[in-house]
Amino acid sequence: MSPLSLIFLIIGVPALVGLIYIFVRGSAGLRRYIITRIALTLPMVFILASLVFFVLRVIPGDPVSSALGPKGSPETVARLNEQLGLNDPLIVQYARFLGSVVTLDFGNSLTGGHRPIVDEMSERFPATLELVIPAAIFSLVLGIFGGAFAASRRKRTADYSLRLYSVIIYSLPIFWLGLMLQLLFGVKLGWLPIAGRIDAVVGTTLHHITNIYSVDALLTGNWPALRSVLAHLVLPTLTLGLILSGVFVRLTRINVIETMQQDYVEAARARGIRERVVIYNHALKNAMIPVITLIGLQVAILLAGAVLTETVFSWPGMGRYLVERISSRDYTAVQSVITMFALFVALISLAVDIIYSLVDPRVRY
Amino acid sequence: MAIETQTQPEWRKDLQKVGFARRLLAGRRWYGADWWLVAISAVMVLAFIILALFPSLFANYGPDEQAGPRFLAPGARPDVPVLVSLASSGITELSDLEVPTGDPRPPVGVVRGVPTAQALNDQAQALNDQLSGTGTELRPRIARFDTLDEVLQAVADGTVVAAVVQSSEYEQLAGNYPTVAEGESLTGGVSSAGGFILGTNQIGQDVFSRLIWGTRIALLIGFSASIIALVLGVPLGLLAGFTGGILDRILSVIMDSLYAFPGLILAISITAVLGPSVLNVIVAIAVLYIPTYYRIVRGQTLSVKEELYVEAARSIGARSVEILRRYIFPNVIPSVAIIFSVNVADAILTGAGLSFLGLGLPPNTADWGIDLARGQGFIQTAWWLITFPGIAIMLVVLAFTMMGEGLMEIFNPKLRER
Repeated sequence: MSPLSLIFLIIGVPALVGLIYIFVRGSAGLRRYIITRIALTLPMVFILASLVFFVLRVIPGDPVSSALGPKGSPETVARLNEQLGLNDPLIVQYARFLGSVVTLDFGNSLTGGHRPIVDEMSERFPATLELVIPAAIFSLVLGIFGGAFAASRRKRTADYSLRLYSVIIYSLPIFWLGLMLQLLFGVKLGWLPIAGRIDAVVGTTLHHITNIYSVDALLTGNWPALRSVLAHLVLPTLTLGLILSGVFVRLTRINVIETMQQDYVEAARARGIRERVVIYNHALKNAMIPVITLIGLQVAILLAGAVLTETVFSWPGMGRYLVERISSRDYTAVQSVITMFALFVALISLAVDIIYSLVDPRVRY
Repeated sequence: MAIETQTQPEWRKDLQKVGFARRLLAGRRWYGADWWLVAISAVMVLAFIILALFPSLFANYGPDEQAGPRFLAPGARPDVPVLVSLASSGITELSDLEVPTGDPRPPVGVVRGVPTAQALNDQAQALNDQLSGTGTELRPRIARFDTLDEVLQAVADGTVVAAVVQSSEYEQLAGNYPTVAEGESLTGGVSSAGGFILGTNQIGQDVFSRLIWGTRIALLIGFSASIIALVLGVPLGLLAGFTGGILDRILSVIMDSLYAFPGLILAISITAVLGPSVLNVIVAIAVLYIPTYYRIVRGQTLSVKEELYVEAARSIGARSVEILRRYIFPNVIPSVAIIFSVNVADAILTGAGLSFLGLGLPPNTADWGIDLARGQGFIQTAWWLITFPGIAIMLVVLAFTMMGEGLMEIFNPKLRER
């Protein structure tokens, strides 16, 4: 079983079970909402996939000869064109492409080892997950507590400095933050590695199961490998997480301040509950609702940031794969990777919206 | 008229007495911190625009000029062979050592084992070739010494007319020989005075000059992409919001899909297809930001459309075009202006990201993203290559973001209350 399908099983099966549970136990309104939301995801995937296809198909020059370069003889080019179906009418190619999106079988790559693209992605996708998930958690924790803290110290130094922090973080180019962290912790202090996922020597001892190295190391009890993996993870995660945290600080702060002005918070205060409890227990909970919806939109920033972070840290994930394949002009692979990104974004926003509808009953159709 | 004036508050009357510039200044009384935010960021934005328009006024060197030695640290003086002589002798450059043909050749001191003698020979040879037939010659006699101290002592004593020494070593001992002065360097254009305040890069270009030239491309991309997106997004948003129906549905689904997709990845694929050029980068980034304007304008149009005054205009038979032009458009414009400022910042960041990935811009453009990408390979040795371009990006983006933030707080009272 390929690591990619394993990951899909690990994430997909519980998600499906959860969905069915919600569906069976939920109210009629909730059920209707989920159906509508899923129905709306399909056109989104369709539009994005079509966009990717048509944008990449208006390339001046044909992909095969540019991928082969000067080495390709006219016969090879013609044969590959035939093999890839690039001689067919555009509409046929389009239909075939949509089919490949449904079956997730993107064919073989034009360059490199000419391996199936799905296999290549099953090595790259777990690397991106390993980077993106801890970064998202880190930025959420930092952002939510930072935002709540700023709101509780409104118009005081802590508030102003946290607001300044979020504006400056927003203005930082993520790749530059990565470079600066490399310079400080990697080069000047020499504490952490600045490139790759694992030390080459330790890497040979690691048994690959999911290709998420930290999980693999945990499952096989390979402690030196786990140590190396975690050390390699620190700087990329910090880079991506810090950049995202600015947005969350802002969102949480605004929403907590707004919730603080509501009657039930006043009532809680009147009952003599301590201010800290009021903020973190009463206000923060309700303030989180709009923040959750915005997580869906942050996925786009997260993925774009991941592409740059992976490039800075030579992290062999999907983003670097995309950039590598663009420079080797392998359009089959490029098309597939971007489609995968589109699918990922659509699924995450679907998941976020369903969770949102559970948390806040007001948003059902 | 008289009645109107009576109902107006005092401060408004005061405001009407003064000119536009004074009114802007007076605004700080009501807006406090936000006014200062906008003022400071507006000055920064203006400064960057001036830098972008007249880079040659501020940059010492051209964007592609190899101005000095490679990998010179910020502020460091390049280590070049320089001519030193008695301050009173008036000899400051090599051509001062010219003598009529046949006269004794002037002795010039060098330190043994240091390549300065080679530089002296080459340079003197080149100058001498130009002099052939003029009756003068430039053929200094090289006198070798064991240490720098001996050479400088010889210059001070007058044993040799001048000496050629490495500037870095000379600097350390210069204090001991007050009568000896430094002349010009012997390596063509590179002066020992330096002037590379942010150092030089791996091919000897001045980092500071390239930063200044980079402003041009950053602002060009930021402004053009945002303007194109605005010109396309605003009418589409007006149309969708005003007409509603099936057109609105279709446009909104497309725009929402675009909006949800990671912008950088979309821009990467578009530039990958279009190939490297500034125009292609602008087009790719413009596409990303159309939904931003579309969404804002559509939302505003939807709410303004329901206002009573629009209803009233409709009831007296105003045409749709008229309603759009006179009632809806003016209400939408302020938020578009604010979005524009933030948008320019965003577009600059995206553009820098693209060129950092090596996509979009032609490889030798003076661009901050390209400089950062090139500098990354030298992270172990040359920290200044990856530090300063990033600071430049941050400052530009910060200026535009802060301006947008401040304007939003001032013009959007609902947000201001928060």
